[in-house]
Amino acid sequence: MIDETGSRDAQAGIAGPEDDPATAASIEDLAAATIDTPTTASLNDLEHLFGDPWDPDNPTGHAAVLAADEAGEMLAAGERLLDGYGLNAEFVPPELGGRLTRLDHLIEVMRVVFRYDPCLGLGYGASSLIPAVNVWAAGDERQRRRMAEVLLAGGRAVSGYHELAHGNDFARAEFSALPGDDGRLRLNGRKEVIANARRAEAMVLFARTSDAPGSRSHSQLFVEKADLPAGAPVHLPRFHSAGMRGVQLGGLEFRDCPIPADAVLGAPGLGMETALRSFQVTRTALPAMTAGILETGLEVTARFANERVLYGRSLAGMPYIGSILADAFTDLLICDCLATVTARSVHLLPGETSLYASAAKYFVATLLMDAMDALSRVLGAQFYIRDGGYGIFQKHLRDLAPAGFGHTARVACLSTVLPQLPRLARKGWLDDTQPPAGVFHLGADLPPLPFERLSISSGGRDSLSASLSAALGSCELDGELRRLVLVIAAEQADVRRECAALAPGDLTVAARPEALRLAARYAAVLAATACVNIWLHNRERHDAFLSDPRWAVAALGRIAERVGRDPGQRPRHVTERLSAEVLSRYRDRRGFGLSNRRLPG
Amino acid sequence: MNIPESAPSDTDLRSWLRARVAHYVQLDVADIDTTTALTTYGLDSVYALILCGDIEDHLELVLEPTVAWDHPTIDALARHLEETLAQGSPSGESR
Repeated sequence: MIDETGSRDAQAGIAGPEDDPATAASIEDLAAATIDTPTTASLNDLEHLFGDPWDPDNPTGHAAVLAADEAGEMLAAGERLLDGYGLNAEFVPPELGGRLTRLDHLIEVMRVVFRYDPCLGLGYGASSLIPAVNVWAAGDERQRRRMAEVLLAGGRAVSGYHELAHGNDFARAEFSALPGDDGRLRLNGRKEVIANARRAEAMVLFARTSDAPGSRSHSQLFVEKADLPAGAPVHLPRFHSAGMRGVQLGGLEFRDCPIPADAVLGAPGLGMETALRSFQVTRTALPAMTAGILETGLEVTARFANERVLYGRSLAGMPYIGSILADAFTDLLICDCLATVTARSVHLLPGETSLYASAAKYFVATLLMDAMDALSRVLGAQFYIRDGGYGIFQKHLRDLAPAGFGHTARVACLSTVLPQLPRLARKGWLDDTQPPAGVFHLGADLPPLPFERLSISSGGRDSLSASLSAALGSCELDGELRRLVLVIAAEQADVRRECAALAPGDLTVAARPEALRLAARYAAVLAATACVNIWLHNRERHDAFLSDPRWAVAALGRIAERVGRDPGQRPRHVTERLSAEVLSRYRDRRGFGLSNRRLPG
Repeated sequence: MNIPESAPSDTDLRSWLRARVAHYVQLDVADIDTTTALTTYGLDSVYALILCGDIEDHLELVLEPTVAWDHPTIDALARHLEETLAQGSPSGESR
């Protein structure tokens, strides 16, 4: 059980941001205090560099971002801005000279970038982060230092995992790196749909290094362009895409290309394991960053609703419009709760994140896309028009689509979760061991990122799920929220019962849709668990909105509906509280996420 | 299939593993050869992780989740498990 005493004990040893006198002073100044983090200053710097998105003359505002998208180019002014800010340092651990101390901070910084321009978020950010994390997780001293030097000098890294013919089926990857007569490895094959393929100084390639069957026949290779012979690799023509149009998607082809034998990350044969471990960091971080797209979507829609007058009244005042805004805002908060708890779990429960990261990737991506679709109905024709004052919405909507399939498709994430569930149903879910309360304390200190402790299986443990019943044991939980937690707990019990009965054939790619849906329902319950515990553990934060249970009531109701349970009639004052919050945050220029941060300008 | 209560003998362990593999790949136990690579039966990387969990629960051991990747036949796996049992769970405490 997590009780109040336990929570305080857990916090006592931690110098949380609430102990900082400067933060305490700022709480006095604000009507609704923000969750201040040590990165608040640098976040504000980054926001100031980007400037007012609505200023048509701002070289990194919406108009400029749209123009670059129409031209199919990266926003050059945005890339210069991020060079100046030193964004790459966010991807490098502190012992190697960077600022990657905490996943939740990285997510906050990247969210700013995604809010302005998802092409920069992916093309400047995530595409370098993914290969870098694999090097931090498995590279030797030299490889780690070199990757850090490339990134800190403003260089780009790319990862070559994907082969169009094999999708997420990495075990079938044909790209090979087999030893040549001179002891060096020879690269053969193609990697396709790679952001920045032409512009990268460093690459991490997933290659077959043994002909034997099984899961020890692949390795990841850290290759610097400078090490390659002239003329290699051959660049495939650019791939053109429906969204993320500015991102330069290319492909690499190698033919008998020699690379140094020490290019292998870790020992030969660790490729699959390293990918499955480090992807936990990136599957957690990427969708959470992408939530910046929905933040902009909410801002654009709120602006539209605020300005638009129909039938003699403001759109914002119409209950139907208000309910759509409230629902999309609620979905964003759900995403934030699940993503934040997962990100904090990477630090605090690295042995269990193989479950949480894939569940979060699936659920967050799904909610973000559904919420943007719903908002598009408020904008009507304005979401379909590529220029004009609201044109940025359709760009963000298109740019969001890769969240569904990029860096592991949602169904592949469910396939990672599903096989772990029967054992949890037999054993792990009967264990009441609670997670450290720090997973729920927004902004509280975290230990360093334990790349070496990430594991490809949770070993039958799932302490986050146990925190749902712990929440029910809290005397703070009452009324409507308690009723809804009971609805979710009933769903959790059903999921457990059905998982215990899964047949072996349902645990792999041959799984029936109903079996995969069990993994999706598990993710939904996990999201609800994160929401109620975030509410329970952060009521002392002087954030009037966050401590009001109504957002959590709305969140659990939305999640219950999503898994096909009747949440009952949501009280009207709940919806009204949420839609009013959307409009007031728009008017006060505050962020729409959990952090409720005041935006500069 | 009888599951032994006490620490299983070599033969018990091998036949228990055969039965688990047969269960997952939905073949008759008689069709499972202990010297054949598990991947030959379609026991892919995911099943290998599931099998590891079963072994942990059965023997009350903590194993590397990749144990069946590194010991890819029933014989190899059984040998490794016997050694691990003989050393008294060196990779960690039993749960």
